[in-house]
Order: sequence, then structure tokens, then C-alpha cells
Amino acid sequence: MNPPPIRLEHLGKQYGRLTALEGVSFDVQPGEVFGFLGLNGAGKTTTIRILLDLVRPTTGRASVFGRDCQTHGRDVRAQLGYLPGEPGFYGDMTGTATLDLLGRLSPQRVDDAWRKSLLDRLELATSDLRRPIREYSTGMKRKLGIVQALQADSPLLVLDEPTEGLDPLMQEAFYELLAELRRRGRTVFMSSHVLPEVERVCDRIGLLAGGELVLLSTVKELRRLAGRTVRVTFAEDVAPPAAWPPACEAVRVAPRLWELRVYESLRPIVSLLATLPIVDVDVLVPPLEEVLRTYYAGKQ
Amino acid sequence: MTRATLALVGHSLRRTRAIVIGMSVVLAGFQFLLTQVGVYLMRSQAFGLLASLVPEFVRSLAGPSMLAFMSFAGVVSLGYFHPIVLVALLALTISIATEPAAEVESRFVDLTLARPVARGQVILRTLIVLVVCGAIVLGTMTAGTWIGLACCTPTNAPRPQPAVVRALALNLAIIAWCWGGIALALAAAVRRRATAIGLTSLSALVAYLLDYLGRVWDPARLVSKLSPFHYFEPMSLIAGAGLSGRNVATLLAAGLVGAAASVIIFSRRDL
Repeated sequence: MNPPPIRLEHLGKQYGRLTALEGVSFDVQPGEVFGFLGLNGAGKTTTIRILLDLVRPTTGRASVFGRDCQTHGRDVRAQLGYLPGEPGFYGDMTGTATLDLLGRLSPQRVDDAWRKSLLDRLELATSDLRRPIREYSTGMKRKLGIVQALQADSPLLVLDEPTEGLDPLMQEAFYELLAELRRRGRTVFMSSHVLPEVERVCDRIGLLAGGELVLLSTVKELRRLAGRTVRVTFAEDVAPPAAWPPACEAVRVAPRLWELRVYESLRPIVSLLATLPIVDVDVLVPPLEEVLRTYYAGKQ
Repeated sequence: MTRATLALVGHSLRRTRAIVIGMSVVLAGFQFLLTQVGVYLMRSQAFGLLASLVPEFVRSLAGPSMLAFMSFAGVVSLGYFHPIVLVALLALTISIATEPAAEVESRFVDLTLARPVARGQVILRTLIVLVVCGAIVLGTMTAGTWIGLACCTPTNAPRPQPAVVRALALNLAIIAWCWGGIALALAAAVRRRATAIGLTSLSALVAYLLDYLGRVWDPARLVSKLSPFHYFEPMSLIAGAGLSGRNVATLLAAGLVGAAASVIIFSRRDL
């Protein structure tokens, strides 16, 4: 059996008295898009930096395709593309010079057609690439970061907050790119603190809090855990039903407004509402903080 | 050398080319100018007057090398140990040697080391750039001296021996190498370039003062041997002595220890 693209075993990192990571263990399977969730300071970036051997773990082990990230760091890094949370581009270098330099550091030759296709999808024009990076907007820098991470077409992609700073259209283009990478059999490990994004593009998630892995589940499970708030406004007074559909609870019920929490599929509640005089329906995804609260409340 | 190391060397050379070219031109111009100052002093027969103006205690402190300095050859050689030249060359050396700290600070190192590049390659790159840039600057300075002597100096001027100029340039290269090693070791350990530059500059200043103190005050002579400048003796070269093997070995070894320490420190630390 082939080793998994990523395996973390009891990974821990201590900075003096501060515990950044503690006992983190999980595998990322081939071809999956894995979302690594957590609030700021949860330990997501530390984990990623251990994978890249930029940071050394205090305890445990991280491996990529069966190779230890610390003892075989160069072999590991030959297999992955990395997008840092804050790419440290030189402001006086042009986009092209930056991509060329980073391409020359990759073991495999960068396919010009693939790079062009990435640039086209992310709408980075040749004229933009000829300009010094200091003239780029935040979004353009992020797009350049994505291209440098993907241009070598590595089998494993490690992306730290990939859509941070992208406008909604570009986020959409990025999600389509991720879907294509999945079709090409690439494995993606991405950190995020945006739940809807993770729900949309990931197969599984790992939730990190205070340096510990508190949840490892499928996106479906996360959805159940987080729930969604459905706010329904009616044209006239409506009486609530005798019993709510399964995995649904009423938060607030008024004659012309219901606020419901739905933990699984929306289908039963949509069926219920279909016969009623609806004026408006809002579906709200809770922020990550609320998922964590729900999770901890469930644990206690 | 691997393709990645070459790519990193090319990148760093492109980044430093403006300062290296600028400094080369200025220092070569300074060397040229000194040949013309020498010609002026020689024509106005001012060397004897200059020597008589030097106080006795300074003459006894500097020894016979002072007399050698009060000559055409001495003035021409001044550009290879004048404090301003020394400061300029050390500033360039420290600036190049602290590139690893700058890359950690700017996080550019995250992008390079996310590729199959060993941390040792980042240090090796810096060492190569240090040597190449040092060679360019010193080569241009020597060319400045040679042009000044070849084109605009009377034939009867007592030119310094080419071997002396080469030894002076080499002497300067070796002291720069030593401080490059020290700066690199510090740069490998810290997260900010300013910290590495500050620490190295302060060390260089303290070492310079320590050496000076050792030369003027006997009780400090022993401790002044800790200063790299103790092993930098251009006056003796002008006086005709060759490069001291002990001095060269000490400075080269100090630079090498710094370079080796930088590889070890940079390879083991968290970035």
C-alpha cells in the first residue's frame, strides 16, 4: 500500500513555555482536498511549516509520501507546491522574474503551457507580470503566490489561506482550479478559517484549537456540527407545526418570522416551507468561532 | 554546484549589482586619485616636509613603516588600508553576508526553502556572492591604481612594487573575508537583518578600538590579539615585509569558522 501524501504522528511543537502544537495525528489521503481549520494562533501555520521543514517539531513526526519531513526534507519538498500565508516576494522584482527564479529552484521543468493556463485563469496579464511586485495589489500578490505554488504541477499542494485577499470572482476561479487539480489526482492540503469555503471545496477537515486537533471529520459531519440558521419571513401569520423536521430546532418563532437551526440537509425544511406564504428566506452559515463553541458545548 | 545554487547566486548578484558596481567605481576612483596626489606631492617635493611634521611619538609608535608611508609608494598604497576604504569594504561585506537574515525577515526564504533546496545552499550562495563581489571590488581598485600609474604618473616616480599592491589588496580581501564569516554566522542566527548588521558593526568597531588600544598601551596588547584587526598589518607590507603566514592563516581560519558556524546554526534553527 502506498504511503499517504501526508501523515502526522503525535506532532508537537513547543516555543519556550508556549505549546503551539500538541499530539496532532492524522493522515491526508491521495487525491483529497483536506481543509485545515482553526482560529488565528491555533497552530495551522506551525503544522504547515513543519511539513516544509522550516520549523522542527519538538515531538512526533511528519511525513510526506512516506518520507520524513525533517530527515528527508529535500525529497519531500521536491513533491510539493507551497503557498505561504504571506508570500515574501521582493517588491523590486517583476512577477515574471519571480516565477522564473522559483521555477528554476524546482526539480522538474515548469511547463510553460501549464503556467500560462494558470495565469489566464487567475487573470494575471503579461503586462502585470512585467511590473515590479511592489505595484501589485494584495489580490494580485495572492494570485502570483498561487501561480508559483502550482506552476511545477507537484503531486501535493500545501496552501496557507489561499483565498485571503482574493475578490469573489477570483475566489470562484480558484475553486474551479482546485476542482481541476482534484480531477488531475493532486492532493491539496489547505488551511482556512472560512467555513463556507471549506464546506464547498474540501472532502475532509481537521479542526485545530489551541494546538490540538479537536475534530477530524468529513465536511458533511462538520455541517451537522455547525448547523445553519434559516430565517424565514412570511407574508401573513403562520402557526408553527406540531413537530419540527428531524435535525431542526426552532430558535425563535413569531407569527411572521421563524428562526430555525438546521443541522443536516435543508430538504425537509424546504418541503415544509413550500406550502407556506414565504416572503424571504435567509440561510446563514455560522462563523468558525460558533462551530468551536458548539463543539466544546457538545463535548461537555 | 547545483542548478538551484546557481539560480540563487544569480539572483543575489542581480540584487547586489548596483551597490557593487557603485562601490567599485568609487573605490577605483579613489585609488586613481591617490596616484595623482602622490604625483602632486612628489612634484612639490613635499614628502620630506610631511615626514618632518609627524610628531616624534607618532613616528616611534608606527616604527619604520611610517617612513615608508611618507613616500610616493606609500601614498599610492594608502587606499588599501585607509579607514574610509576599510569601512566601505566592510559595510559592503556585512551587507552581503547578512542576506540570509534579510530573507528570513522578508519571508523570501519560505519560498526558496519550500523547494528542494538545502539550507546549506543558502549559506553557500552567500559565500560565493561574497567572494565574487569582493574580487570585483578589489580587482577594480587594483585596476584604478594601475591605470593611475600607467597613464598619469611620471616615469621617474618610485612606483610601488606590483607584488606589494597585490599583497595589500589580498590583505584587504582577507580581513573582509574574516568579517564576512562573522557577519554570516550572526545573520544565520537572527531574524532581522538590522540586528545582524548592528551586531557585526558593533563587533567590528570594538575590535578596531581594541587593536588600537593594544598598539598604544602595553597592558592591552595581549587582549588585542582577540581583534581580527590585530592581524591586519598593511604598514609592514609597505615597508617591504611579505604577507605574514600567521596573520593570513588566522584571518582565513576566523572567516572559515564563521562560515562553518553559519551552516550549522542555519541548518538547525526554526525559520
